[in-house]
Amino acid sequence: MRERSKGCADMAETKLIGEIFEGGWRKVEVIIGEKSMVFGKEKIDFKNITDLELTSYEGKECIRLKSGRDYYFSFGDRQRQVFRFLAFNIKSDKFAVYFLSPALRGGVLVTNSKWEKGYFSITESAIWFLSPERQIRIPLNAVGSVSKDKRTVGDKQRVVLSVTHLEGKEVLTSFVLCPETTLELLMDYLRRILEQQKPKEKLSEIEEQVLTMVYTGVDSSSIESVLGISTEELNKIYDKFVSLGIAKIVKIRKEIELTPKGVVLVSEVAKKLGGGKGG
Amino acid sequence: MVRVLVVDDTAFMRKLLKNILFSAGFDIAGEAENGKQAVELYKQLKPDIVTMDIVMPEMNGIDALKEIKKLDPDAKVVMCTAVGQEQMVKMAIKLGAKGYIVKPFQAPKVVEELKKVAKV
Repeated sequence: MRERSKGCADMAETKLIGEIFEGGWRKVEVIIGEKSMVFGKEKIDFKNITDLELTSYEGKECIRLKSGRDYYFSFGDRQRQVFRFLAFNIKSDKFAVYFLSPALRGGVLVTNSKWEKGYFSITESAIWFLSPERQIRIPLNAVGSVSKDKRTVGDKQRVVLSVTHLEGKEVLTSFVLCPETTLELLMDYLRRILEQQKPKEKLSEIEEQVLTMVYTGVDSSSIESVLGISTEELNKIYDKFVSLGIAKIVKIRKEIELTPKGVVLVSEVAKKLGGGKGG
Repeated sequence: MVRVLVVDDTAFMRKLLKNILFSAGFDIAGEAENGKQAVELYKQLKPDIVTMDIVMPEMNGIDALKEIKKLDPDAKVVMCTAVGQEQMVKMAIKLGAKGYIVKPFQAPKVVEELKKVAKV
């Protein structure tokens, strides 16, 4: 079941004109071979690529690949083809599986999702669902939970691996169908990853409530009033979230009070709002 | 103004939903902490929409939905579900629920769903 470096062989020895980012985007000729890619005087062996993703960088849709350092390539209309080829050939542990991704979106069945035959692949920073049609990369920090579940596949009840993961702010669940020994191995691996990502310190009930409200999109003032806590208390909780790595600061609120000059100005404004002369 | 009855067994979830709905211009008709209370309050308050949690003590959300539908076949009930309750959601939709929102909530989605149901 466990395989390395087996995948699509649809790009053997292809010469492409693309762009590479080196301080700025510039044209580059890339020769993609069976085991490596060559551009200029550089050569990257696929087995040395530890991470790969489709991303946007410096104003361009591109492929980021990590081989020691990050490289950014753009291949225009050949981009998806190159990405698919690399996804199957980079350094990873691949397991032959059937997968359904996503099976659930926000806890509700995705009706147009289908089981696909392919691979569950594990790289340094992500897990992947790979099939000739789709190469789904899920960063490890976006994996939420993993468990066994019973699902009807075909006409039979089968044990599947259920993986919840985030896409943007949405919780998705994907299923993996594979032999039980593989399933146990994958579950064990993913659980260890999740354990490493868990905050070292437990959250109190009020902290869990604040976390939920932030996720929901409730603003700080409303959190204070709903939970009956002061700004100082809320700031302390925010600081804890930041130190635990479960939140980041995006805005620092300013609290002000008016100077006498400001109060005079308000009086003027009030007169205007009240109808000006004599209103 | 659309009047909403919020049903959930946890005070925090009720507060959270009320806050989201109030900020979006809905009127909170009342709140209940179990299905039994929800049915009673529905009779009294006749809200335009009910947001109904599924797992609750005394009477769960599915049974409360059935009772409310008996009282008022046109009742607009939106189920509040958690991940993994998709079978329950299917059942609730068959029983006449008009929509669902998923916990943990995201305010824009809650508002979007309730506005959609309010128009039906």
